[in-house]
Amino acid sequence: MGFHMNSKENKKMKIAFILIAISIFVSFVISICVGKYPITLHDIKDLMLGNSINEMSRKVFFALRLPRVIMTLIAGFGLGLAGSVYQTIFRNPLASPDIIGVASGANLGAAVAIICLGNQINLVAGSAFIGGLMAVYAVTLLVHVTQNNSTATYVLAGIVISSLSQSIIMVLKFFADPESELAAIEFWSMGSFGSVTDTKLQVVLPIILLGIIVVILFRRQISLLALNEDESRMLGVRVTLIRIIVLSFTTLVVACIVSVTGLIAFIGLIAPHIGKLILQRQNFATCIFSAFVGSLIMILADCLARTLYSTELPISILTTFLGVPFLIYFMNHKKEERI
Amino acid sequence: MQELRIRIGEINMIKKGICLVMSILLCAVVLVGCGSKTATSEASKTIVVTDQAGREVTIKSPVKRIVSGYYISTSACLALQLKDKIVGTEDRGKRPFYKLFDSNFNALPNVGSAKAFDLEGCTALKPDLVILPTKLKDSAESMSKLGIPVILVNPENKEKLIECLNLIAKATSTEKTAQKLITYYEDASAKMENLTKGLKGNEKPVVYMGGTDSYLTTAPANMYQATLISLAGGTNAADSLKGNSWTKVSYEQILAMNPDVIIIPSEANYTAKDVLGDPQLSKVTAVKNAAVYHMPSAFGAWDSPVPSCILGSKWLLSTLHKDLYSFDNMKADASEFYKQFYGITIDEKLITK
Repeated sequence: MGFHMNSKENKKMKIAFILIAISIFVSFVISICVGKYPITLHDIKDLMLGNSINEMSRKVFFALRLPRVIMTLIAGFGLGLAGSVYQTIFRNPLASPDIIGVASGANLGAAVAIICLGNQINLVAGSAFIGGLMAVYAVTLLVHVTQNNSTATYVLAGIVISSLSQSIIMVLKFFADPESELAAIEFWSMGSFGSVTDTKLQVVLPIILLGIIVVILFRRQISLLALNEDESRMLGVRVTLIRIIVLSFTTLVVACIVSVTGLIAFIGLIAPHIGKLILQRQNFATCIFSAFVGSLIMILADCLARTLYSTELPISILTTFLGVPFLIYFMNHKKEERI
Repeated sequence: MQELRIRIGEINMIKKGICLVMSILLCAVVLVGCGSKTATSEASKTIVVTDQAGREVTIKSPVKRIVSGYYISTSACLALQLKDKIVGTEDRGKRPFYKLFDSNFNALPNVGSAKAFDLEGCTALKPDLVILPTKLKDSAESMSKLGIPVILVNPENKEKLIECLNLIAKATSTEKTAQKLITYYEDASAKMENLTKGLKGNEKPVVYMGGTDSYLTTAPANMYQATLISLAGGTNAADSLKGNSWTKVSYEQILAMNPDVIIIPSEANYTAKDVLGDPQLSKVTAVKNAAVYHMPSAFGAWDSPVPSCILGSKWLLSTLHKDLYSFDNMKADASEFYKQFYGITIDEKLITK
């Protein structure tokens, strides 16, 4: 009986994976056709087949449209994966890039660059990246100093570092020029895929992929970290070391993404929960599934960001507005099932 | 055993998922790689300019389709009589100045703002010249890679504004019009200096210029607005403050400055009534004498370095010294200015104080 149940569950999971893959593919195709520059599906077909099309359409497609859609896909994947991995290894449903300090560290890095380094895009990206990494190292350092290696300490330390970053950002905002710098800081913290180009994608994509691959390679250890700490130790997992390695590479992924797009709210928190509610388990398969959920929400959000209004809307507005109904639906749906 | 099977099933599924993602990405990377090849085409007649970010830009002449992504450059294009060549502008929002132009102009598509510039939307307008503020340098680089010439402008003070006008003029072959406009500035400034040079220290009223967001911010010595006050024969109340953007001050500081006149800039989001009704300011000379004036808001930010900024100085001169330059003369001059450079007839009633 038990075996039957499990194989049924397994089948359910398979269907879930297939469905989400199809949804991502469909939304990817839709997203690639959406935009202010008129590129038809026919043009895209011609491009794929290597037929000649209007030179400018080709340039726009390869330099702007395609890199942007790939970036949304990979950003959603990365943030979803990171959020889910954080929740797994810290065994805390609130752990997400926002809570653990990466996001606010990156935000601080960006704000420093906007005000002190003259708002140059490459410097802002680099500084955000360094800020994100530094915040997480500050968190691990804080945990190390307190000599309390429990998961709750990580989350608490993350909150401490986030709050500290936020208050430094406030100081910077206060002294910022309201017309240019303050607006730039505010807008950076709302995120956008509007400035993604092939050049930027070529810089960050290898690093993001490296991070994702390393996280996937450590899938066994991540699953074990989800268990009781003593149990994982007994199973031969070097808890602290693995935690730091996994944390470093997920942070690398998140910092790389936000350095190009600016902060993207909520995906890192909501995608893992939706993933967990659909699959009703918490292991590495859920992490991957959550990453797919992240991709799907992100692609849809970016389609809307480009089309809803005459100018582009910041992505964080859409990720939140799209993510919340999803989460509420699944929360309710699963509650009924349990009853 | 069962658990092991489940685990194997899961791992297989994860592997499949990863394969799928990797293959999508691989295709994508290959496609992006293909897209990096660039084609070159040479035009017979080109203009080379160095923009205000120090970039050298080659522009095919004549320019027929212009996208301007910054209100000051849009205003500059309008002043250079390029209205019919503008095919897109920044998000015009509620700027009242544009309402003075015809519906064709007001129906032009927008390409976003300095916050979110729309790369694809701009490209779709097929411009042969794009003008952007220097803070959009990143977008400019992206557009340049697509083969669209972009010039960056940074008119942060009057000198830079003139440099910006000359730059746009060179790029669009409208040097003569630009020269006329610049000569107008020079003549008008010289006339004003002539009128105010005889004023003794005590004849120059102390002027407090409120900021756009709040009258508890003001223009320090190094801000363009401070030069406006001295050109119009006044003394800036905040000359001892340092900085080049609106600076916060307290009620106490304003009381200590005790200005004779308070000026509210065009785009302020408060009115003279608010200032006059503030009990904390009731002891200030300007408030006691009801000498609080609001620059007209229908024509853009006359108090900042925009192409019509000279009218801001003239308005302030006529406000501070109506015996030297009457308000009626000011109105007539402003009317003439808009007719000559922008080709529009303005309603003089909109010039208020």
